[in-house]
Amino acid sequence: MKIISQGALTELLDQVAREKRLIAPVEEAGTIRYRPVGGSGEIAFDFARPLLSIKEAFFPPTETLLTIARNGGQVTLQEVMPEEEQVIFGVRPCDARGVKALDAVFSGERVPPDPYYGRRRQQTTLIGLACREMGETCFCTSVGGAPDEAGNVDLMLTEVEDGYAVEAITSRGESLLQGMTLTDVTGAPSPPRLNDPVPVPAAGAWAEQFEDAFWAALGERCLSCRLCAYVCPTCRCFDVRDEPLPAGQTQPDPQTQYLERVRCWDSCTGANYRRVAGGHNPRAEEGERLRNRFFCKFDFYPQQYGPLACTGCGRCIDVCPVNVDVTEVLAAVAAMVPVKIPEEVSA
Amino acid sequence: MNRARANRMMPQLARLVTVRDMAPEIKMFGVELLNGNGAEFAGTRPGQFAFISAFGTGEAPFGIASTPGRGPVLEFAVQRLGAVTTALHELGEGNMVGIRGPLGNCFPMKAFEEKDLLVLGGGVGGAPLRPVLHTILDNRADYGHLTILWAARHPSLLLYREEYDDWRSAASTELHLTVDEPDQDWDGDVGLITELLQKIDPSPRNTVAITCGPPVMIYYVDRLLAEMGFAPDQRYVTLEARMHCGLGQCGRCNLGEKLICVDGPVFSMAEVEQMRESYL
Repeated sequence: MKIISQGALTELLDQVAREKRLIAPVEEAGTIRYRPVGGSGEIAFDFARPLLSIKEAFFPPTETLLTIARNGGQVTLQEVMPEEEQVIFGVRPCDARGVKALDAVFSGERVPPDPYYGRRRQQTTLIGLACREMGETCFCTSVGGAPDEAGNVDLMLTEVEDGYAVEAITSRGESLLQGMTLTDVTGAPSPPRLNDPVPVPAAGAWAEQFEDAFWAALGERCLSCRLCAYVCPTCRCFDVRDEPLPAGQTQPDPQTQYLERVRCWDSCTGANYRRVAGGHNPRAEEGERLRNRFFCKFDFYPQQYGPLACTGCGRCIDVCPVNVDVTEVLAAVAAMVPVKIPEEVSA
Repeated sequence: MNRARANRMMPQLARLVTVRDMAPEIKMFGVELLNGNGAEFAGTRPGQFAFISAFGTGEAPFGIASTPGRGPVLEFAVQRLGAVTTALHELGEGNMVGIRGPLGNCFPMKAFEEKDLLVLGGGVGGAPLRPVLHTILDNRADYGHLTILWAARHPSLLLYREEYDDWRSAASTELHLTVDEPDQDWDGDVGLITELLQKIDPSPRNTVAITCGPPVMIYYVDRLLAEMGFAPDQRYVTLEARMHCGLGQCGRCNLGEKLICVDGPVFSMAEVEQMRESYL
């Protein structure tokens, strides 16, 4: 394996920060967040799972799609496209999987690609960092991932004694390493510590559990707070609305009203998610909404795009104020699956 | 232009060329894109929808109520109900709006050829049926007998009243009207559209039924059609939902694994019956 020393890595990151936007884990008031940094000195190299995934680097909580200048009945529009190149350091394998799940929705074949997401994705280099161990609520290995999974990033790092084992996954990752001094050593990084797997129902098992009373009972607890979706690396529902352009941005003509059309995160667990004008709310019950969220992850998304839309990161378990635990839901659905009783062997 | 087409979240600027009161709280907007209603809208098919932007408030999806064959102006029947529709109702002729579309699938009008058609519309929900009717009337020889059941709460809320004479006078076409709350001048049927349907008692033989209206109307009409012997693949509906992209991305309009925006809004009941989640 090839090793990059801690010194060489910090040098590389400092170099990146001088040329591009560098996003990395930063400790902020006791939590770890992915934030733009000016240099390696700000980075938390030894970190557990950050509060939010790297989703926001591609699909920001709020982003401007276009600006609107309105003067009486006359309107001019200006498209706003993200232009900056960025490098994200410290991408955990679960979050890299999450980006792949978003790719299918925003840059896939099923529907027309979204240029905002596509532009950001194209301009972003991902530097992955393997986990040494799974966190208390992690279950990536149960949904197809692994703490040291190397795919889905451009450059993969794994902590070893003298620095990081480094593997270029894409040509973009390779070019990051150009001119770097790497040491060649025999051996491999020690494997990460794993949690026991949790039961995950087979893909086909979900369909029959849609009408189960379990969902209404689970809904009794739900506060419709939407935290689960905000921390989720694969949740991607959004709202679109027009807002006044924030003060301070260029507003040259006092007779003109300046607005922006923004897209912001939303969640199917929110009470008014499907409420239409006039007041009809087709998914009015908490249980119906939670059911939709879990079916989306494990049944609807897989039918639409193939893989599961859950990376096993466990964030939703950590943040839920009423302890709705996806692994308990998985276990419950797995237990609901009717057991096939073998035909009696005739004596 | 290419850029705008590639970015399907980017509305095209358009001008309101006509704003007409159709019914209390319902206006018919005629819209023309600033660069002409180009190739996209020339290919609009019955059942498709578009987003209209009321700039400063936002955008919302509306069924396209016009047919390209009858002229280039796009028409939408809009009831004032929420934020976007209220903002639209405040606009007048000459004002600018945004348009994104056409979006969604359409009625398989080709497959309906040679068949008798039963078209059931309720209130403003029936607005997107107008292109279906126009297509049949403009190609009258291609389709069989046409029976239109048209309903509203009150006579003043019946859509497209100025076209009824045209509909009635077309070959092999009948129009039946019903309202829940008649006024003094009303001489048509009184009651729900299901009662009218029972009275007409159409034969399902070689017939396709197309229903569009509020979900609860669709539900009861469809149940009755099923009882009358219409098979699931003889029953078509358009469904609607809150949407924010119309492109299969915002997630908002799912019914189970189906998205109304890209898999619909037109569905046969054969498809709807496969859905785990109810459209109600």
